[in-house]
Amino acid sequence: MNPVSRFFTRIGAMAAKETLHIRRDPRTLYLALVMPVVLLLVFGYGVSFDTDHLPIAVVDLDQSSESRELVRGFTASGELEVAARPANAEEAERLVQRGEVLGVLTVPAGAGRDLLRGTAVELQLAVDGADGVIANQLLSKSEALARALNVKLSPLDGVAPPLEVRVWTRFNPSLKSAFFFVPGLTAYLLAIAAVLLTALAIAGEWERGSMEQLFASPVSGIEIILGKLLPYLALGCLQMLLVLAFGTWAFDVPILGSLPLLFLAGMLFLVGMLGQGLLISVVTRNQLVATQAGAFSSLLPSLLLSGFVFPIENMPRVLQWLSHVIPARYLVNALRGLMLKGVGLEAIWGDLVALTIFAVAVLGISTARFRRKLA
Amino acid sequence: MPRRPSRRTQFLAVVRKETLQTARDKRMLVMLLGGPLLQLLVFGYAVDFKVDRVPTVVVDGDQTSESREHARGLMADGTLRWVKGGKSEDGGGSRNGRRSSSSANVAPPPVTPSVGATSGSPGAEGPAPLDRLGVSGAGPMPVAEADAALVNGDAAAAIILPKGFSRDLARGETAHVQVVIDGTDPNRATVAGAAVAGYFAEVSGDLLRARLAQQATRPATASGGISLVPRIWFNPGLDSPPFMIPGVMAMLVIIVTTIVTAMGLAREREMGTLEQVLVTPIRPSVLLLGKLLPYVVIGFLDVALALAIGAYVFDLPIRGSRALLAAATFVYLLSTLGVGLLISTISKTQQQAFLGGFLFAMPAILLSGVMTPIRSMPLWLQAVTYLNPLRYYVEVLRANLLKGAGWSDLWTQLVALLVFGVGILFVATMRFRKRAV
Amino acid sequence: MSAPAIVARHLKKRFGTFVAVDDVSFEVERGEIFGYLGANGAGKSTTIRILCGLLEPTSGTATVAGHSVAEDPEAVKASIGYMSQKFSLYLDLPVAENLAFFGGAYGLSGRALRRRTEEVLELSGLAEVRDAQTGSLPGGIRQRLALGCAVLHQPEIVFLDEPTAGVDPTARRIFWKLIRELSRGGTTVFVTTHYLDEAEYCARIGLMVDGRLVALDTPAQLKRTHVPDRMFAVRGPNAARASGPLRQVAGVRNVEPFGAGLHVRAEPGRCEAQTLRAAAGAAGHQVEVEPIDPTLEDVFLAVVGRSAKKEEDGA
Repeated sequence: MNPVSRFFTRIGAMAAKETLHIRRDPRTLYLALVMPVVLLLVFGYGVSFDTDHLPIAVVDLDQSSESRELVRGFTASGELEVAARPANAEEAERLVQRGEVLGVLTVPAGAGRDLLRGTAVELQLAVDGADGVIANQLLSKSEALARALNVKLSPLDGVAPPLEVRVWTRFNPSLKSAFFFVPGLTAYLLAIAAVLLTALAIAGEWERGSMEQLFASPVSGIEIILGKLLPYLALGCLQMLLVLAFGTWAFDVPILGSLPLLFLAGMLFLVGMLGQGLLISVVTRNQLVATQAGAFSSLLPSLLLSGFVFPIENMPRVLQWLSHVIPARYLVNALRGLMLKGVGLEAIWGDLVALTIFAVAVLGISTARFRRKLA
Repeated sequence: MPRRPSRRTQFLAVVRKETLQTARDKRMLVMLLGGPLLQLLVFGYAVDFKVDRVPTVVVDGDQTSESREHARGLMADGTLRWVKGGKSEDGGGSRNGRRSSSSANVAPPPVTPSVGATSGSPGAEGPAPLDRLGVSGAGPMPVAEADAALVNGDAAAAIILPKGFSRDLARGETAHVQVVIDGTDPNRATVAGAAVAGYFAEVSGDLLRARLAQQATRPATASGGISLVPRIWFNPGLDSPPFMIPGVMAMLVIIVTTIVTAMGLAREREMGTLEQVLVTPIRPSVLLLGKLLPYVVIGFLDVALALAIGAYVFDLPIRGSRALLAAATFVYLLSTLGVGLLISTISKTQQQAFLGGFLFAMPAILLSGVMTPIRSMPLWLQAVTYLNPLRYYVEVLRANLLKGAGWSDLWTQLVALLVFGVGILFVATMRFRKRAV
Repeated sequence: MSAPAIVARHLKKRFGTFVAVDDVSFEVERGEIFGYLGANGAGKSTTIRILCGLLEPTSGTATVAGHSVAEDPEAVKASIGYMSQKFSLYLDLPVAENLAFFGGAYGLSGRALRRRTEEVLELSGLAEVRDAQTGSLPGGIRQRLALGCAVLHQPEIVFLDEPTAGVDPTARRIFWKLIRELSRGGTTVFVTTHYLDEAEYCARIGLMVDGRLVALDTPAQLKRTHVPDRMFAVRGPNAARASGPLRQVAGVRNVEPFGAGLHVRAEPGRCEAQTLRAAAGAAGHQVEVEPIDPTLEDVFLAVVGRSAKKEEDGA
């Protein structure tokens, strides 16, 4: 047998052994296949910024039929809901402190009279600023409702407006949060599962002592690494398939772009993350430390610095630079582009290159560190 | 030889041993103290819920001083940021700048009709390329490039001012503006769309009043109507750190106390030391109490550290009673430690304990209102969060720190935490006793 | 005569369908060094665990130091010391801290704890390594520490589960010196071991096979009972090959490999050393044959072998 075919034979043997290990260990399969899907469903439903029926308190100091009509105008559409009608401002503030309402709409005394006379009425809207996202939404919706009310009340109703603005929403017309989150979630879950899986792989062998046996055989470091990587890569692809299938089915997320490109991006990402896990287990030689290091090195970066939830361009420069070494960032970008916008290779080739570089670098370092001696 | 060893002696022996072991383990110390520090800083700086500086391209088909004026006006408050061919120009307004309450980010969502603006979406057909919108673009930014910018992600909004825009306005006719927004990030899309619509609504309103005044058919002052005066309580700038940091604190505590406790006990089982301890007359309850006490202390330390960093680095306000904070932290710790204990009773090795703790902590964190509002979850999932101790702790923290809420406001959350904590600890202790070795 | 230190009556422990301890009854006298032998998996550790209150028996009773294990386990634990098979002290703590912890666990504190700690350190020869990290110590020294932790509170009874496993011969001898000192001081020692030469130190020995106690007596008596035959050692180059022809010799009961040579068991009076030498020589093997005293190993092999045979016949 020539060296090349020997190379492949040895890798094949290692991969076969590893596959047996995986098949026999139900925990690994659970971690790889069940957990990501479960988490996908849970997070897909749980992680969202869509809000409706925001509860507010109304302090009606006028108590006239006009003021009541005014309040009804605000709440008719259902976006705001009157959860309480406290008698005064102090009571209202207590409600906000307790978190029972998100804002307080105050109608001043004499509002009804002013409306009939044609004088401007000032409504106060106090918003709970603790939750920035919700506060923003409450403000937006209230302003819009106020504007709509003004149109109805205004004597200018019916006159042709001087300016007409038409707004189109491209790529996610119904503005569903799931569209935004599912691609990122996919990357996040794959990252964690991949790193954890391989962190268990080699470090476990160190501890079990079977690594010593391997060293006594003619298998070289790179062969061991590739042999271990392949079954997990296959598992990872299966995982990606499952996660994408469930994600698109359960949340109606489209895949407008080319599927092969999608899988290429996913595979490159997987190789990089699996490689990261391998590197960790090669360096730490301790299964427990490898698991911890793996979890933390994939958790925070993939969550925060990948653009999954929080946009990268709003972060301080330092973190933006840091995100360049996080493979999840590139996959999230590529997935969003491929799935939601239907872009082609020209848009994501940069991401693919970055993923490839990361994968090669990580595997290279692993092999270099994997000295074929025991110490 | 002492017949009935005193529980106090036994308890102290356990606490002393635990403390010594933790203090000697450098890695552990790093994780318990350094980790939180790092997480706080990263989260505090990375997370920004405020939507601003949304990259926008303006396709100015008109190329007049008026149209340019409008382009500048759109970018004035900093929500939108002008992007052209990769270069960007700040329209003013810094990222962390505090906004005065009167100019808060207000905007209607694209589907609600507002004065002077109508909106619609092509909906079912899927995204329409710009050139199908009937815009003939000429000028510095060809329409196709604008479309490419949206597709590439270089821009999230495109505003098209067609040729003849200012001429129509001057002539008293209706001018048309078209806006295309990238919907992939719905939050950003909402705010950007609102900023544009809001700006043009104001312009339109002013124009209308001016025109009517010219026509002198009705007195311009008899406009009446309502104006909405918004005020933002507790966090006028709508800064993200005050909102995030309580969440991060809850996160820290659960990661440190749950995972570490679970692993500590699993480790004793794995190493065999647990058997040796169980053969002594130490009662299981004394053992557990002694083991958990150092982590209560560490939990408090981490909370204090987080508060200090939050206040010093991120201007986190501390408006409420500190006693309430301490009490809430204590009952929260009961839950997290209880869960850690429970996980250790079902784990044979440290690694299983770690994975168990980790896989519990992840959903608990994401489904607690730390990062995304519970209100946005489907009702069935909201119901599930009632079982999540993090939810209550985060509510208490936010209310207490930012709003100065007191005991009478938050007693329900405290009771819930207490019930959980005691319940989980009880179940876990029962299981621990049963499993013995 | 004072009450026995340990009384086990019809102890039985079942794990699912596997019976680890099958109807075991015995008594151990105060101050006695009691040895418990058996193959791996025979049920020795399980029995100890039951006696220490770590496991609940499926049926049967045990009384240790006068207290019922089922009804008053805490009193039992306060009166005994235990050294497990696997080293189970804290590797990341220094020697003195391990002693401090376990002392505290047994209720020792303050001056009493300090005094006892010094005594134990002195007794076990660990005074010099008191500040060394336990994990850095070699096996033999660690075992002494484990013994020390078990006797800090001067218990009436000490349970030692294979205390010298994996320990070098010198260290083993030191260890048994400590055990004998304990026994002289009135402490009952219940010890399991695989080292049959150590078992000779025991006053009485119990032998477990597949969960059953098949023999219980002094070493001498055991040898007389179970190995009544005459034993011969056969040595020489390729002595092992002589086993075939030797088996044919009249009166030979059994031929077992032993080291590089053989042990031959023959009916008393039936054959002599010369007979065997001649038989081997006739088959072309040059060997030396010597009569020897039976060892506990021979006892072990005889008992276990017989039990195995009984199972075969009975099944």
